Amino acid sequence: MKILGISAHYHDSAAALVIDGVPICAVQEERLSRRKSDAAFPLSAIEWCLEHAGVEPDALDAVVFYERPMLKFDRILTCALRAFPRSWRSFPKAMKNSLGEKVWVRGIISSHLGVPASKILFTEHHQSHAAAAFLTAPTRRAAILTTDGVGEWATLSIGHGERRPNGATSIRLLREIRFPHSLGMLYSTFTAYLGFKVNEDEYKVMGLAGYGRPTMVDKVRKLIRRTPDGAFSLDLDYFEFHSTAARSYSSRFIDLFGPPRNAYEPINLETEEGRRFADCAASVQRVLEDTLVDIARALQKETGLPDLCLGGGVALNGVANSRVLAESGFERLFVPPAPGDAGCAVGAALYADRIHFGNVDRDVPDHPFWGPSVDGIELARIAAEDGQRVDELEERKVIDQTADDLAAGRIVGWMEGALELGPRALGHRSILTAPHAAEMRDRLNREIKYREQFRPFAPVVPIEDADRYFELPSGGARLARFMSGVFPVRPEWRGRLQAVTHVDGTARVQALERDMAPRLYALLHAYGERSGIPVLLNTSLNLAGEPIVNRAVEGYSTFLRSGIDVLIADRTRVTKRGSLLAKRKEEAECSRSVAEFNVA
Amino acid sequence: MIPANGFDRILAPLHRWIWRDPQRRVQKLLRFGETEIDGGRDLLRAAEVTSNSLLRRLYLVHATDEHRHGVLFRRRAAELLRASASSSASAFQADWLTPGGHGLDDLEVGEESDDSMLAFLHLSEKSAASRFTVYRDVLQFDRPTQEVFDDILHDEMFHMNYTLTQLIRVSPERHRLHLWRARLSRLWKAYLRLATALAGVIGGLLLTIQYFVVLPLFAFFAKRAQRQDQTGWTPVSPERNNNSLSRQY
Repeated sequence: MKILGISAHYHDSAAALVIDGVPICAVQEERLSRRKSDAAFPLSAIEWCLEHAGVEPDALDAVVFYERPMLKFDRILTCALRAFPRSWRSFPKAMKNSLGEKVWVRGIISSHLGVPASKILFTEHHQSHAAAAFLTAPTRRAAILTTDGVGEWATLSIGHGERRPNGATSIRLLREIRFPHSLGMLYSTFTAYLGFKVNEDEYKVMGLAGYGRPTMVDKVRKLIRRTPDGAFSLDLDYFEFHSTAARSYSSRFIDLFGPPRNAYEPINLETEEGRRFADCAASVQRVLEDTLVDIARALQKETGLPDLCLGGGVALNGVANSRVLAESGFERLFVPPAPGDAGCAVGAALYADRIHFGNVDRDVPDHPFWGPSVDGIELARIAAEDGQRVDELEERKVIDQTADDLAAGRIVGWMEGALELGPRALGHRSILTAPHAAEMRDRLNREIKYREQFRPFAPVVPIEDADRYFELPSGGARLARFMSGVFPVRPEWRGRLQAVTHVDGTARVQALERDMAPRLYALLHAYGERSGIPVLLNTSLNLAGEPIVNRAVEGYSTFLRSGIDVLIADRTRVTKRGSLLAKRKEEAECSRSVAEFNVA
Repeated sequence: MIPANGFDRILAPLHRWIWRDPQRRVQKLLRFGETEIDGGRDLLRAAEVTSNSLLRRLYLVHATDEHRHGVLFRRRAAELLRASASSSASAFQADWLTPGGHGLDDLEVGEESDDSMLAFLHLSEKSAASRFTVYRDVLQFDRPTQEVFDDILHDEMFHMNYTLTQLIRVSPERHRLHLWRARLSRLWKAYLRLATALAGVIGGLLLTIQYFVVLPLFAFFAKRAQRQDQTGWTPVSPERNNNSLSRQY
C-alpha cells in the first residue's frame, strides 16, 4: 500500500511517502525551495518523494493531509466572531487567507496530483503529531503527549498508543486543551515580545533563558493559571493573538513586563535592559517546564506506563524535555527528529496506514535520514571549475584527513548520504569543529553562522562515551539520539568543552550510535585518538536565515560565503584557496569601462 | 555616478517629503533591508541553479553584496530608532508612492534561463540605482543615511555592469531582445501587482462591509456560547478517535 503524507500551509510544509507500512522518504519543502520555513503547498517535496520511490501519482492508494482544514476554518471564524468588533481589521485578512487556498485542500491535492478526491484523507492535527511520535518510536505501549501552538482547536492532547502482538495498532487521544489556551502560544508570545520571529525563533528564547534568572515567574503565572483538573488556562487580557493578527501580546502584557525589545537591536546582556529580557526568557521557560512536568507526571500516574512519546512543536524544547524525563516518572521519553509540523507528513501517512486501513504494524527505521542524497561528484565538478583544491579520497583517508583538519582547528562542512528530516543537523549536513575553546564558538558565531552570541552550539559524541562527558540520566541517551534533550556537562570536562557548554553548564548533546551514522561515528573516534576527547561541535550546515543545505552546490555556496575551511561531500574534499569572491569581484570591476559604454 | 532617470527626478520633491518623516524613514529602511536580503537569497538560488561557472561566482558576489546592503539598511534603521526611542510605525507608509529596493520577489529563479535572468537583473539594478540616486540626493539633511546609499550605489554600479556584460557574453546576438522582453515582463508584473493590490482593497472592503452587516447576529450567539465554554481539559470522545479520515471537519 502506497500512502503519501502532506503537511502544508502554516509552517514547515513537507511530504512523506510510506510504502507497505514503512517510510521510504520524506523531505521538507524548504530544503528544495530554499525558502526557510516554506509553508507553501509542498509540490517539490511531493515530486521528489514520488520520483525517488518511482511511484506515479495514480499508483497511490491514499494521500493524507495532516489536519482537517474545515475544522481549522471553524476555529478561525469562531474566534473572529467572539472578538467582534475588535476583529474587524483582522477578519478580511483571515478570510482572504483561508478562503484563498487553505480550505480547498482536497481540490488542490486532486488537481496537482490527479488523484480522485475519494483517495484524499484528513487526520486531525494532533493525531498526526501523536502518530509521528508513537509510530516511529521503538516501543510497544506508551503514553502520548502532544503540544504545540494550535492545530484545529486542540493545543495540547494526551492519550496512549499500543502495538498489539497480532500487529494491530491503536492510538487513542483521551483529553485535550483547546485554543486559545496554549503552551505554544504562550511561548510564542514571549518570542515575539523578545523581538524574535514567531514559529521560527523559539529556540533563541530557550538559549537566552540560560543567561537569565527566573525572577518573573510570578508575573508569568498571572498569564497562565492552573485549572482544578490539572490543565491550564491563559488569562486572555494579556494576549491579542486570539483576536487580532497584528500583535500577540496586549498593552496589559507590556504594563506587566515592560517595553518589548526592538527586533533590530542586539541584546546586550551587560545592560539592565538586556538582563531583563534574559530574565523574561528564563521565567517563561521555567513556567513552561513546570507545566509540562505536572501534566506528564499526572499522565504517568494515570496510565502507569514507563514510556512517553512527546510530539508537537513544544517538544523541540530540549530543556523542558530533559525535565520531563527527570521528574515526570516516565522511564523513557521518545521525541521524533521532526516533532513539529514537518514530521506530521510522516505521522499522517503512518496513521492512515495503521489506524484507517488497519494494516499490520511494521518497525520504522530509527533514524532521521529520509531526504535526497548528496553527490560528491557534483561538488568535485563545481569546485574544480572555480579552481579550488579538490581531492578524491579513499574512505579511510577521508576520516583520517578530516580528523586531522579538526585537530588542527579547521572548520569542516560535512555532507554525506540522505538529508535529515526536521530542524536538527544530526550528522549528514553538519558543520563540525573542535569543541574545546570558547574562541571556536565565537568564531563560528562571527564568521559562519552570523548569529547572536548567546546561542549555544551542540556536541556530538559516540553513545558509549556520552556518560563520561555528560550527566545523562536514565533514559537520557535515548533523548539525546536526536538531540532532543539538554544535559549538564560534567564539571571536570567543561574547561575542555567550552565551545559546546552553555553558560548554565549544559549542552544539547547528540549521543550517536554507530548504526545511525557510521562515518561520523568513525570520525568521532578518529578525532578522539588525536585529541583524547571523542566529542565534536555539530551545528547545521547553513547560514543565518537559510534552510539547511540539501545538494552539494548549496553546501559549496555556503562554504564560499563563510569561514568554513574544508568541505566534505562523501569522499570529495574541497579546501579553500584564498578569498575567491573578492578576487572575482576585482576581475569584474575591471570590465566596468566596457560595460559603462554599453549602458550609455 | 549613476544618473537618475527622468521619472525619478520628477518625483524628487515627493521623495524628499516622504524621507523627511523620521518614522517613514525608519520603516522604509527596514523594508529595504528585508528586500535586499530577500533579493540576496534569490541570487544565491540563481548561483546554485546556473550551470555557468562564471555566472555562479558573480551571482555569489552579488548575493553577498545584497546581504551586506540589507545589514547596512537595518543597522541605520536601528540607529534612527534608537535616536527617536520609538518603535511605532506610521500608519501611512506611502510605499506605493515610492517603491523600494529590488528584491526578486516575483521571479521564479529556478525557471529562468541565464540570459533572461541577467536581463531581469540588469533592469532591476538599473531601476534601483536610479531611485537610490534620488534618495541619496534628497537625504542631504541626514548625512549617515546618505552615506549608506552612497556605499550601496557603488555596488549597484558593479551589479548593473556585470549583468550587462555577462548578458552580452552569453547571448551576443539576442541580448537586446532579452532586455526588451525583461522590460515588458516588468511592466506586466507591475500591472499584476497593481491589479492584485486593487483586488485586495476591493475584497477587503467587501469583507469589512459583510463583517459589520452580516456578522453581528452570529457574533452575539458566538459570544453567548463562549460563556458556557469551560477551561481545562476537554474529553476526546471515542467517536472522534474513530472518525472517518474522509471528513475535512
